[in-house]
Amino acid sequence: MSNLGIEPEVLKAIYGQMARIRAVDKAIQAGLSAGKFMFSYWPMTGQECIPATISQLVTHRDYMVTTYRGIHDQVGKGVDLYDLFTEMLGRTDGVNKGKGGAPHISDPASGSMVTTAIVGAGAPIANGLAFAAQARGEDRVTIVNFGDGATSIGAVHEAMNLAGAWGLPVIFLCQNNTIGEYTKIPDYTASKSFAARADALGFKGVVLDGNDPAAFYKGMKEVIDGVRAGNGPVFVEAQTFRIGPHAGVGDSPQHSKEEVAAAKTRWPVPTTRALLLDAGICTAEELDALDAAAQAEVDDALSRAMACPVTPATETLTDVFADGDSVPQRGHYPVRVAEVEPTGERKSMLMLDAVRSAQEIAFAADPQVFLLGEDVGDPHGGVFATNRGLQTTYGKRVRPTPIAEQAIIGTAIGASIVGMRPIAEIMFADFLGVCLDQIANHAAKQRYMSGSATHAPLTIRMMVGGGMGGFGAQHSQSLEAWLLHTPGIKVVYPSNPADAKGLLLSCIFDEDPCVHLESLMCLRGTKADVALEDYRIPLGVAKVKREGTDITLVTYGWQVAQCLAAAEELAKDGISAEVIDLRSLVPLDYHRVLDSVKKTRRALVVHAATEFCGLGAEIASTINEELWSTLKSPAIRLGADWAPIAYSNAIESAQVPNAGSIVARVRAAMKS
Amino acid sequence: MSTVLTIPKLEMSMVEGTLAEWKVADGAAVNEGDVIYVLETDKTARDIEAPASGTLTIKAAAGETYDVGTEIGEIA
Repeated sequence: MSNLGIEPEVLKAIYGQMARIRAVDKAIQAGLSAGKFMFSYWPMTGQECIPATISQLVTHRDYMVTTYRGIHDQVGKGVDLYDLFTEMLGRTDGVNKGKGGAPHISDPASGSMVTTAIVGAGAPIANGLAFAAQARGEDRVTIVNFGDGATSIGAVHEAMNLAGAWGLPVIFLCQNNTIGEYTKIPDYTASKSFAARADALGFKGVVLDGNDPAAFYKGMKEVIDGVRAGNGPVFVEAQTFRIGPHAGVGDSPQHSKEEVAAAKTRWPVPTTRALLLDAGICTAEELDALDAAAQAEVDDALSRAMACPVTPATETLTDVFADGDSVPQRGHYPVRVAEVEPTGERKSMLMLDAVRSAQEIAFAADPQVFLLGEDVGDPHGGVFATNRGLQTTYGKRVRPTPIAEQAIIGTAIGASIVGMRPIAEIMFADFLGVCLDQIANHAAKQRYMSGSATHAPLTIRMMVGGGMGGFGAQHSQSLEAWLLHTPGIKVVYPSNPADAKGLLLSCIFDEDPCVHLESLMCLRGTKADVALEDYRIPLGVAKVKREGTDITLVTYGWQVAQCLAAAEELAKDGISAEVIDLRSLVPLDYHRVLDSVKKTRRALVVHAATEFCGLGAEIASTINEELWSTLKSPAIRLGADWAPIAYSNAIESAQVPNAGSIVARVRAAMKS
Repeated sequence: MSTVLTIPKLEMSMVEGTLAEWKVADGAAVNEGDVIYVLETDKTARDIEAPASGTLTIKAAAGETYDVGTEIGEIA
C-alpha cells in the first residue's frame, strides 16, 4: 500500500478505465459535433472516476442499474464497446439489437441489468435484483446509480424505505453532479444532505469524494464489503460535477464559466493522471500507452459499428413477447388450442379459494415463486384472503410490503429479470396510477428495449372493486384499457373460480409480464367446482359460455354473469344470444370471436370499463372490418358511462352495464 | 481522410442552428479540440470544437441559420 492509501496497480487500473470512458465520451461528442451521426447523448464528462473506481471493486456477478447518463457506468461495468456503440447507433449488432439505444442498455453478461430513462425509476428495480440475491443466498451486490436530481422523485424514497425494512444488499449510489437536468442545487431542494435521508430511513448514508480515486476507492470498498457481508443497504452520495450540458456536447450552459473552469481543475481524468506521475507510479510513456490503448479500442469499435447495418423495420414486432403470436396484429388471428379439462378430484370453491389454490401449487412447484404486496401475510392472507395460509407454510417467500406500489412492482420486476417468478399483489387496480411507470415503462418494455437480452416475467394480481357498490370513485374502476394500450403486457380477466386458477397458473409461469385482474364480484361471488390438481388454461383462448344463434355477446370478468342473465331474459323474447367469455384480453382470441359472429351475424361487446375508447370499440371495429359483408347489423359496444364511478348505489348500478341495460341494447340492435 | 462538418443536433428538440461566427479562418490549420465556430440554438450559444486535426475548409457563411445535418465545412 502506498501512502496514497491505495495499491499503485489499482490506481493505475482505475486510470485505465477513466481513459476508456474519456475516449468513448470524446468519440461520441466529436461524432455528434461533426454531424458524423445523430442521437441523443447525455454526457457524463467529469464523472468518470466513479465507475472507473467501482470497476476495481465488483465483478460481472454483481448487478448494476443505471440511467440514461450512464455510458461511463456501462464502460466501467464491462459492456463491450462494439456492442455499446452499435446500440447507441441503433444497429443490428447492438447489445440490445438497436432497440433500446444509449438510455436502455441491458447486458446481463457484464451485470449491467437495467438502464432507465425515467429519473429514479431504477431504484425499485435494483431492490428486486438485490432481493433475488438475498433470497438465493448469493453474495452479489447490486449498485443502482442515479443523479442528485433523482433524490426528488418518489420511486427513490419508496425503494430506499423498502430496502431498509428488508435489509437488502443494495447500494443507492447518488452521483451528485450538482445539477438535475437544467436546475441546480439549491433551486430544487432545501435539503442540506442527501446521505441524511438514509439515516431517516434507518440505514447508513455516507458522503464520498467521487472525484478522488484513492479516497473513493477506500470508501466504496468499505461500503461494498459491508453490503456484501449482509449488513443491509447503504446510500452513497458521491460528490462530483457535470461539466457537460444535460444533453448534447460541450460545457454546461447552466453553470457559469468560472464554475466550469473550477470544475475542470478537479476533473478526475487529468488529476488522476497527474497523481500517477507525481507519485512516481507511472511514467508519462506508460500513461500515454494507456491513453493510446483506450483510443485504439474506441476507434476500432466505432469504425466497425458505423459499418454495421441499421436495425430494420422487419424487427418491429419481435421482442414484444417471447411468443410473437400473442402480439395483436390486424388480420392475424391465430388458432390456439383450448385447455384439456382436468379430470381429478374437485372441490366447491369461491374464486378467492381458487386463486389461493393456484398460488399454493405454484409455490410448491417452483422455489423461485414468491408473493409480495400490502398485508399479504397471515393470519388474514391478504385483504381478500386470497393468500391465507401461504405465509404460514412458506415463510419468507411471502413478503408483506410497505404501502408503496412502485416499490412492490419494482421489486417484482428486478427479481423476475434474474429468473424469479414473483407474484405482486396490488390491493385495488385503482392504485395503477401510483405504479404505472414501473408497469408500463419498465415491466412491459424490458424485453423489447433489451432486444430480449432480459425480460420481466412477473405476475401482477389486482383486485377490481366495481359492481360491489359503495367503494367510490377511487376503488371501483375498470382500468384494463390503460394496460391494453401498453405494448408488452398480457392482461387476463377471469370470470369464475375454475378459470381463475388455470389462468393464474399460466400467468405465473409465462415468460412475459401478466396482469391478472380479480373482480371482487367474482372473488366472492358464486362457488363452483374446481379441480385440485395443477392445470393451465392457455392465454388467448376464449370460451363460449352459452350457445346462441341471433347475436354474440362478447364480454369478460364480472360482466360475464350480467351477459348470461341478459341472455336468459332475451330467450323469453325468442332472441338466442351466444355469450363468449374472452378470459384473456391480451392475447385476445379473435379467432373464436369472429367464428361466433360468422354464425350469429350480430355482435355486442360488453364491459364494465368506460365505453368511450374501451376494448369494446377495438373489438367492434375489428368485427365490422372482418365480417362486414356477412353482418346483419354493425357490431356495437356497451360500457360504462363516461363519469367517475359514483358512491351512490343507484348511480353505480345504472352507470355500468347490467342485465337490464344489456337486454335493452340487444333489442335495439336486433331492430336494425 | 477528411472529416466533414455538419450542423450537429445538440438537443433532442433542435432542428436548426445559427452559425454565429467562425473562430478560425478558411484554410487555417486546426488541432483537435480547438474551438472552430460558435453555434446558436434557441436555448444557448455553444463553442464547437474541431473533431479532428487538419486544414479547415469553410463551406457555409457565418450569420446564417442552417438545418441540422447541413454540411458547413471540412477538415482535411
